Amino acid sequence: MSDIEYVRPTDTSSAVTLVAEDPDAAFLAGGTTELDLALKDRVIRPSRFVDIGRLPLRGVTREGDRLRVAALTTMEELAADPTVRSRLPFVREALLLGASTQLRNMATIGGNLLQRTRCRYFRDPAVHACNKREPGSGCAAIEGVARMHAILGAGPSCIALHASDLCVPLVAMDAEVELLDADGTRRVPLTEFYRTPGDRPDVENVLRHGELVTHVVVPLLPAGTRSGYIKVRDRQSYEFATTSAAAAVQVEDGTITAARIGLGGVGTVPWRAWEAERVLVGAPANERTYRAAAEAAIRDPFTVPGTAFKVELAKRTIVRILRTVTA
Amino acid sequence: MTATLNKENIIGQPIDRVDARRKVSGAAPYPSDFDLPGQVYAALISSTVAAGRITRIDRSAAEAAPGVLAVLTYDNAPTLADPPTNALGSTMRRPLKDDRILHYGQHIGIVVATTRAQALAAAELVEVDYAVEEPVLDMDDPRARVEDNPFGMETSRGDVVAALADADVTVDSTYTIGAETNSPLGLFTTVASWQGGRLVVHDTTQAPSFMRKALAVMFGVPEESVRLLIPFLGGGFGAGLRLWSHTVLTALAARVLDRPVKLVLSRPQMFTSVGHRAASRQRIRLGARSDGRLVAIDHDALAANGIGDNLPSPIVAGTPSAYACDNLATHERRVHLNIPYTGFMRAPGAIEEHFALESALDELAGRLGVDPVDVRLRNYADVHPESGKPWSSKALRECIEVGAEQFGWSSRDPAPRSTHDGDWLVGQGMAAATFEFYALDCDVRLTIDRGGNAILRSAATDIGTGTYTITAQLVAELLGIEVERVRVEIGDTDQPQAPQSGGSGLAGALAAAVQDAAGALTERLARLDGRPGESFASLLDRHGLDELSANGHSDLAAAAEDSDVAPAGAFGAAYVEVGVDEDLGLVRVRRLVSVIDGGRVFNRKTARSQAIGGAVMGIGAALLEEAAYDPNDGRVANGTFGDYLVPVNADVPDIDVTFVGEPDTFNPTGSKGLGEIGIVCIPPAIGNAVFHATGRRVRDLPITLDKML
Ligand SMILES: Cc1cc2nc3c(=O)[nH]c(=O)nc-3n(C[C@H](O)[C@H](O)[C@H](O)COP(=O)(O)OP(=O)(O)OC[C@H]3O[C@@H](n4cnc5c(N)ncnc54)[C@H](O)[C@@H]3O)c2cc1C
Ligand code: SF4
Repeated sequence: MSDIEYVRPTDTSSAVTLVAEDPDAAFLAGGTTELDLALKDRVIRPSRFVDIGRLPLRGVTREGDRLRVAALTTMEELAADPTVRSRLPFVREALLLGASTQLRNMATIGGNLLQRTRCRYFRDPAVHACNKREPGSGCAAIEGVARMHAILGAGPSCIALHASDLCVPLVAMDAEVELLDADGTRRVPLTEFYRTPGDRPDVENVLRHGELVTHVVVPLLPAGTRSGYIKVRDRQSYEFATTSAAAAVQVEDGTITAARIGLGGVGTVPWRAWEAERVLVGAPANERTYRAAAEAAIRDPFTVPGTAFKVELAKRTIVRILRTVTA
Repeated sequence: MTATLNKENIIGQPIDRVDARRKVSGAAPYPSDFDLPGQVYAALISSTVAAGRITRIDRSAAEAAPGVLAVLTYDNAPTLADPPTNALGSTMRRPLKDDRILHYGQHIGIVVATTRAQALAAAELVEVDYAVEEPVLDMDDPRARVEDNPFGMETSRGDVVAALADADVTVDSTYTIGAETNSPLGLFTTVASWQGGRLVVHDTTQAPSFMRKALAVMFGVPEESVRLLIPFLGGGFGAGLRLWSHTVLTALAARVLDRPVKLVLSRPQMFTSVGHRAASRQRIRLGARSDGRLVAIDHDALAANGIGDNLPSPIVAGTPSAYACDNLATHERRVHLNIPYTGFMRAPGAIEEHFALESALDELAGRLGVDPVDVRLRNYADVHPESGKPWSSKALRECIEVGAEQFGWSSRDPAPRSTHDGDWLVGQGMAAATFEFYALDCDVRLTIDRGGNAILRSAATDIGTGTYTITAQLVAELLGIEVERVRVEIGDTDQPQAPQSGGSGLAGALAAAVQDAAGALTERLARLDGRPGESFASLLDRHGLDELSANGHSDLAAAAEDSDVAPAGAFGAAYVEVGVDEDLGLVRVRRLVSVIDGGRVFNRKTARSQAIGGAVMGIGAALLEEAAYDPNDGRVANGTFGDYLVPVNADVPDIDVTFVGEPDTFNPTGSKGLGEIGIVCIPPAIGNAVFHATGRRVRDLPITLDKML
């Protein structure tokens, strides 16, 4: 039986060292993703859990027109923050439409960004063909039961979805993550943090082994911006998004002057719909524009029979959120 | 002397469950709560392919792992006898019989170790090689074995072909339903021990008396040498109605090691180990005159079953008695696939049958331009359509009429797509149904002691429906004592044998036996020559008796054979309002009215809970639940509660439940069983409402959003 060493340091530099020195060590935050994978599904085999729950990385601070969120802030805490409520309402909506209250009280913001895919083939050790777990082994999902899978950024090597709701408005906001390792700190825009699978589905982001996410920095919405988050799913609560969209737009005299769009439920990474934004800015705020933006957003999808419906659904989701926030 | 329920002082009252405090305080022992001295832990080794043969099993690494006490596989385990057919007619293949693999997740071995973690870890070390065959997973696969009329229940009357040809209006539709799993909250558990040659098993089962028999046969011991204990079950919804291999393997491991062994299934194992509602496809043809009278019903059903499995799961059995119609034919086929064992799942067969029949009737109503309610009433079967006998009770008409009234059906605009509410199209649909109860013979023993307290004993289980409570109410009513003075001791096969808690039959069978026992006991007490108003306590005391007992017996199934009425099951009608966001494919249930004729209701609170629970499960069946099998290797690709969606509170509107009807005239206590009727109408009523909202008929359950786009 493989025992897992458990350590709970209280300062960040020891936490970083404890993971960096052991290639099989992993950070443990709220544990809502990590413990399932290690103990229930048994698809990851860490030698050591470095519980970061006692690190002084909790809370939200306002820095001018930005919000600095420490990585161990829970989803519920962030949703309850007054600045998030007033200046990033769609972040709050995305948080509260995610998981369940119980999970949100445990789950941290850093952990949410780094949550692993829900692809059931990834999470079943009896499945051999999973390029994300075992590069070069194939992809059982593509030929199998795929529904909660990605159509954007996906390819024949992997169609695993990044299922976070929170990340959808965060990529739209150009949030940045602050990272710390032995070499010091660096800041990476969230839109450049994630990697689409390409031929290395096992590499999901630019994080180096032992590098700790310490903060997420989120610009606030300019006053007068309207924002919203829509989550489409069969079950009305406690289900991941089939499709979702976050939108923040400014409209002056019927013309869209600024737009930020993020998409969920469709991307192998939290998806920034740049092309849709380009269509929107300068265009009249009407149905035709929204549809054109939606068409621009869902270009060249990679679908399998179980995910083909998402192409049209994602477009309609975009139209709906734009209609809602401009109403 | 007989005791009869001519008063309803206690019976029917919506009293709280007598076991409520124990349950909410955690004091009620569910199977996984049992731990025995010296107990060790088991983990299962499960097949990772769906078809083929085991070519090699290497146990050595597992055997050498820390804490491991035994690793049993087909090639080293002691041989057991084949299990018997159970009272419901199902048989299973003996576990570890040979090297054949018939479905994904098949238990191919069991590992026992000192701790649970050691057992789980060691199970992963067992190396298995397979000669893999391409599994048969599709009902239309030409390699699949298909049986015609497997249950001998096909019927016909009149001339359907001619009637369909002559009909003014016809419907010809095919309905499909995906596989569903029972998904009780409690993980199935077995704690087995051999105590001086006697096998004692705490097991998640709804059929303890059958389990006792089956285990006795398999282990070659007399029935008295097996004891099943199941005071609280943790939910079953039918999953506990069959003998499952994990129970046998745990008992086997306990025998090999001569130590108590405990096994708790994981949630993914629940999807492959304890049955499921099989996927099915039905074709219905209806013919009617322009006035709405049915002239022909032709119903054909095809359902899946495992290979080497035999589950009596008729779908069309109820169709002939559903409506008055002179020309009718039913056809049934069963196709064997490399899927996990199927099982009985709440209202087995009836859900499937009514989804097809009640949806087709709605389609017919639309074509005729007749209100769906009127179509049901115009074809109302006043007498049993097959036997011509009067029903023992039938208040389906009242269910339909009262439901229409509560719901406000008369203000419904019959035109599809006629009602909007913002982004939502609003639709209303209804369905009517019956669920025949299935009650086998039942024994009880009733005792009154010197303290004036009564004890009722039986092997029956309470699956959470309220058996403890209604039994206490019955005894109290029949003996004229307070409920607090009644102790109910059930879930133990050392007590008189009882039928399964399933098929909506237990309440009726148990109540009839309790009534029989109460009659006998009252008679014995009368012989003691009591003084007017004298308490039992003083009566026994005066005669120097510590206690007085009487046995009770019922056999409703036997009584049904020569009854001059047609024993009726419960009836129900449901009215549902849905909102459909057509753009996004969302279907949301906004309102639900359920009206049920269950004969005499023993407790209006627990009865209502059954109706609500059934409706919630019906919402799941209609909109959410489908166990998805991988088309290549047959694994259940969504076997967790994160992936297999059951309804949550947000999906469930307020549910308006009304009971109508009179005590049934066949069943001695007037009840008809309420555990299943509440679910049956819901899927067709929702499908019909979706059609009314959108003009789109989805004939494939569940109605997920992709099917609405
Ligand atoms: C049943 C269920 C439903 C869910 N539904 C939703 C939903 O609807 N929407 C949604 O958005 N999410 C949902 N989630 C996912 C949930 O939000 C994530 O599991 C959670 O946010 C992860 O946070 P955690 O603190 O528990 O992370 P952990 O599980 O502790 O860690 C997750 C991963 O991140 C790494 N990690 C954590 N913190 C750091 C850090 N600071 N620096 C570096 N690495 C780190 C860990 O090593 C691990 O790999 C659901 C989860 C479950 C179990
Ligand atoms: S989609 Fe990705 S994660 Fe899922 S099985 Fe394929 S490779 Fe693995």
